[in-house]
Amino acid sequence: MRLADLIIVKLENITLGYYTTPRGWRSLFKVKQPVVFNVNLNVVDGEKVVIIGESGSGKTTLLKTILGILPPFEGRVYVLGKSIYDLPAKERRKITRQIGYVPQDPYKSLNPRVKIETVMKEPLEKSNLTDREIKERINEALRLVQLHEKILDYYPMQLSGGMMQRVLIARAIVHEPEILALDEPTSALDVSIQAQVINLLNQIRRKLELAMLTVTHDLAVAQYLGDRVVIIHKGRIVEEGETAIVLSQPSHEYTRLLISSYRASI
Amino acid sequence: MANIRNNKPSISGAVKNVQKAFQTKTGFVAITVRAWKRSSRFKIGFVISSLIIMVGVLAPLLAPYPRDGLGYVPEDALQKIRLSPSRDHIFGTDTRGRDIFSRVVFGVRSALIQIFLVVSSSLLIGLFMGVIAAYYKGFIETLINYLIELFMSIPAIVIALALRLILGSGLLTVVLALIITWWSWYGRVTYIYSRSIVEMDYVLLAKLSGVSGLKIIYRHVIRNASPPVLVQAVTDLGSVLLEASAINFLGLGLPPDSPEWGVIMQEGIQYLSISPWISVFPGIFILVTALGFSLIGDSLREEVDPKLRRRWRLWF
Amino acid sequence: MVLAVEAENLKIGYEDEEVVWAVKGVSFKVMVGEIFCLVGESGCGKSTTGNAIVGILPPYSVTDGVLRILGKTVIEGNKRDYTGVRGRIVSYVPQNPGSSLNPYLTVEEQFHYVMNSVYEWGRKKVVEEATRYLRMVELDPDKVMDYYPHELSGGMQQRTAIALALSTGAKIIVADEPTSALDAHLRLGLIRLLTRLRDTVNLTLIFITHDLLSAGKICDKIAIMYSGRILELGPSGKILTEPLHPYTEMLVDSVPILGIMKPLKTYGGEPLTPGVEVKGCLFLDRCPKKFDKCAENHPAPKEVHERIVECWRYV
Repeated sequence: MRLADLIIVKLENITLGYYTTPRGWRSLFKVKQPVVFNVNLNVVDGEKVVIIGESGSGKTTLLKTILGILPPFEGRVYVLGKSIYDLPAKERRKITRQIGYVPQDPYKSLNPRVKIETVMKEPLEKSNLTDREIKERINEALRLVQLHEKILDYYPMQLSGGMMQRVLIARAIVHEPEILALDEPTSALDVSIQAQVINLLNQIRRKLELAMLTVTHDLAVAQYLGDRVVIIHKGRIVEEGETAIVLSQPSHEYTRLLISSYRASI
Repeated sequence: MANIRNNKPSISGAVKNVQKAFQTKTGFVAITVRAWKRSSRFKIGFVISSLIIMVGVLAPLLAPYPRDGLGYVPEDALQKIRLSPSRDHIFGTDTRGRDIFSRVVFGVRSALIQIFLVVSSSLLIGLFMGVIAAYYKGFIETLINYLIELFMSIPAIVIALALRLILGSGLLTVVLALIITWWSWYGRVTYIYSRSIVEMDYVLLAKLSGVSGLKIIYRHVIRNASPPVLVQAVTDLGSVLLEASAINFLGLGLPPDSPEWGVIMQEGIQYLSISPWISVFPGIFILVTALGFSLIGDSLREEVDPKLRRRWRLWF
Repeated sequence: MVLAVEAENLKIGYEDEEVVWAVKGVSFKVMVGEIFCLVGESGCGKSTTGNAIVGILPPYSVTDGVLRILGKTVIEGNKRDYTGVRGRIVSYVPQNPGSSLNPYLTVEEQFHYVMNSVYEWGRKKVVEEATRYLRMVELDPDKVMDYYPHELSGGMQQRTAIALALSTGAKIIVADEPTSALDAHLRLGLIRLLTRLRDTVNLTLIFITHDLLSAGKICDKIAIMYSGRILELGPSGKILTEPLHPYTEMLVDSVPILGIMKPLKTYGGEPLTPGVEVKGCLFLDRCPKKFDKCAENHPAPKEVHERIVECWRYV
């Protein structure tokens, strides 16, 4: 039973980053290098949120922590109500499986040595479904991304970029997640395919009633993939709000800079 | 691939896809098939190696004096010491009257056993250590890397010396000595390749889906890291032969009288100016065998490497 | 009226087991001091055409047709002769800004390496000229000269690459996707820089990109390429506002533009991969406006107003 106000993902005062080994004698102690500071973020069920930031802004790092692979230095990450880093790894994995992740580069996200069939089956291996149910789910997912069943026999190298991306989306939804998390879903694609993928994502989201969290640097794409935008700059959230409003009447200086740079270069 | 759309994949498109798949497959088998089609070097190497292997298999039939071949001294030995090559003894006879041709032919078996044992064992150990280090990182990574560097720096001959004292002479000594040093090379190469594979998004996706570590290693890491290592292993068959022969030549491996090329050479070295055939013929066989495998390995490597260089990426 | 680059039915292919044609016959003229854009999706042959102009076609490539640079014929049939052109008249800025810079040399050393091989200047003259070129690309020489490429930011690397390209004395620069690795404001800066260079030193620029919007902003003429042919060629302003060819229309419709919430029209299909044999118009598969003539042959280029279009609808 889904409540309209169910918060799928919640980031509470997150400071986050990586460990680096300094030079010299100090290499005995690893140093914390934060890249994200005091971030608060909610994604409600059914929402479309876009995190906009340029390279180095920390947007990918945020995504990593939501996926459960990067514990924060400070703060808590809640997924479906549970603070995932306070759980043992196995429990954490169970919860983060509710997030359907679509990585950035389709060429790096598919193992060239495995068939698409394996790619699609993998997320369902740990579930207790019968073979028949698995087959049904896979076919349903492929149908939603408009790919023919025959693609299961192919290897990734035989597919074009657009198809690979669709396979990745199908894989992300095959285990019926609550939320789709996408990292730059259109950056590696051709212009005409970008449009296809954007429309496809919106279609799927509507049909499956998913929440969607996209990370991108492309302002124009963000318009189509988000009702709400969050602008991140140098690890901090500088502005947040309804897409249409933020992108037409920005209040923060940085947002203004982004928009004016965009305007001037077209 | 414009042929796959909704429900109408075309047949000709499908056939072209199979072709393309083969051209782009990165597995060891596919590489081998491609190399065979493309490279004359591969064909030469393959022919040489196949001939050698056949000689080894058919040794008892090919050798005119099988007992000589196995190392036994014939009854009329004293009259046949160090005879130069003739019709009865194509390669001549050795210091104890045995037919060298027979000994060399049986030596093929010894050579092949040694190199395949060494390479396959080192490969298994090296691959395993390499992927474990790259996948699990942390302390294991540091430990394994340390071991790799340690064993890489010790020459096999030194280890053979030590083993000779402990185990005495024999096949085990030479094979073990080589395995102990060679695994580290495969370990290193596997580690380096696996490192970049482990960072790939498909490994991340597998982790997120809850796939177990070992399964990920098998399905994603090893399959992609092993082809270049396997290719290297083929070339190594030749290199190992040279090293093994050296160890046996020095008397640190197989005992005298064994049908082994290095051993035979050792026996003939004092008589090099008088009866060169004793050392020369086994020496030639060592070189030719090593060459055969090296040619195969080289052409395979050409398939793997310039795939990144020559295969232009028109559409990526 | 000097033509910087002139192509007549230029064809470029790669020899593997059989020849795969990446460029299937393109013709265009670029004036000196013009910014000319080759726009297209992946596999259309724009990078290959750019490589042909620069002179870096691989040895296993096959050509046909004619390519002239500043009057000198560099490609004729299957013969290629770039003496005096490659590295002198034409220079190249690749997509990844860092990759054209030698990671082991500081910027000053790189200039030295380049200029020494072209002009054989001494150290002092090299520093002088390098400073001049760095200033031209709006970099502070003191902040750049003694540094290694990895110590510079992406935008600075890009500009250094351009300075190096200019320092060979090149009159024509081919830039392959120079903006795709950059953030929005860096992109803007680069576009401004290139326009300024065109105005000050009369630089001819061949700009290869898939970014239709940037192309529209910076270029004088745009050539829309698809599967090895130029489907539409004309002045940039009009092409994007009133596209003639259905493919151009599709591109314009598919590009998301900030501030305009138009529905993104999806056209099915994918860009053609090279090597696929097609009967009829190359765009047949995906064209929403096709009719029977389109299935017979690929249309020949036809002049319509100020543009050249390859579409049966205009014949």
